[in-house]
Amino acid sequence: MSQHESASKEIGVIGSQEFTTGFRLAGIRRFETVSEDDKPEKLDDAVESMLEDDGVGIVVMHEADLDYLSRNLRNEVETSVDPVLVTLGGGAGSGGLREQIKRAIGIDLMDES
Amino acid sequence: MATDVKPTRKNLMAIEDRIELSERGHDTLEQKRDGLIMEFMDILDQAQDVRSDLSGVYDDAQRKINMARAMDGDIAVRGAAAALKEHPEIVTQSKNIMGVVVPEIESTKVKKSLDERGYGVVGTSARIDEAAGAYEDLIEQIILAAEVETAMKKMLEEIETTKRRVNALEFKLLPDLYESQEYIEQKLEEQEREEIFRLKKIKNKKEEEEDDAVAVESVA
Repeated sequence: MSQHESASKEIGVIGSQEFTTGFRLAGIRRFETVSEDDKPEKLDDAVESMLEDDGVGIVVMHEADLDYLSRNLRNEVETSVDPVLVTLGGGAGSGGLREQIKRAIGIDLMDES
Repeated sequence: MATDVKPTRKNLMAIEDRIELSERGHDTLEQKRDGLIMEFMDILDQAQDVRSDLSGVYDDAQRKINMARAMDGDIAVRGAAAALKEHPEIVTQSKNIMGVVVPEIESTKVKKSLDERGYGVVGTSARIDEAAGAYEDLIEQIILAAEVETAMKKMLEEIETTKRRVNALEFKLLPDLYESQEYIEQKLEEQEREEIFRLKKIKNKKEEEEDDAVAVESVA
């Protein structure tokens, strides 16, 4: 079934100091720390540079931080497949996925959860 | 547009062939769409399980690191975090679900033993070890979530394109073809009626001429 194997990648974490420290404790070295006050200005750049980095396969962010992103960029990360975005702390809705399901299938399948 | 085609029998046959092909394509695509949605439902169940596990593991990891921070101080935790030497890596392979290529992510070096972590055992406390362990679990869970969620995104894209194709065939291409077919059929019928009328006219004219000839002969 499997067709090809790509080069090994790493996990990237974007968020405040408190958010990233734990991941660094588990050995993650690709991280962008943006302090709470700088988020409205600097989070966009941090996410963009992470998206452009070919060595990053998974981007981890806090769900609440997505609100700081510009509309276009938010849309881009939410639908991006390489790297794929995993958000934490947001409950079952998992951001753009829910919207995408509604659009593609026509029913809000994540409603009951 | 329907009126763009030349109303010839050849064109009519070509359009009928196209209609047949499009109808067949439409049925096949509809089946593909339904199949994809079924596959998607399976993945969705999986994804919801993974998601709820993920938030549980995240809460646990957060609690542990907060504990470490409170007891050992932020500096100690950050110091330990900066000392890590082994870094988790992921390798993606792909597999195929109904023509959609979805990734299978494999991870290495996520789980580490105490001496592999590299921050030393003497200078740090057990709480930091626990927090590190909890975050390692979290990363494993994140990798699982990334795998199913990527699969879901790709499936959704495929479902959307298939749906768009089905709708384009159903609401645009096929109606246009039916319209062209009807237009040509009506034009051909009209031509036929004109032809019959013309023949009748000619026949009448000939009969009149013959009658005149007979009349002239009888006078003479």
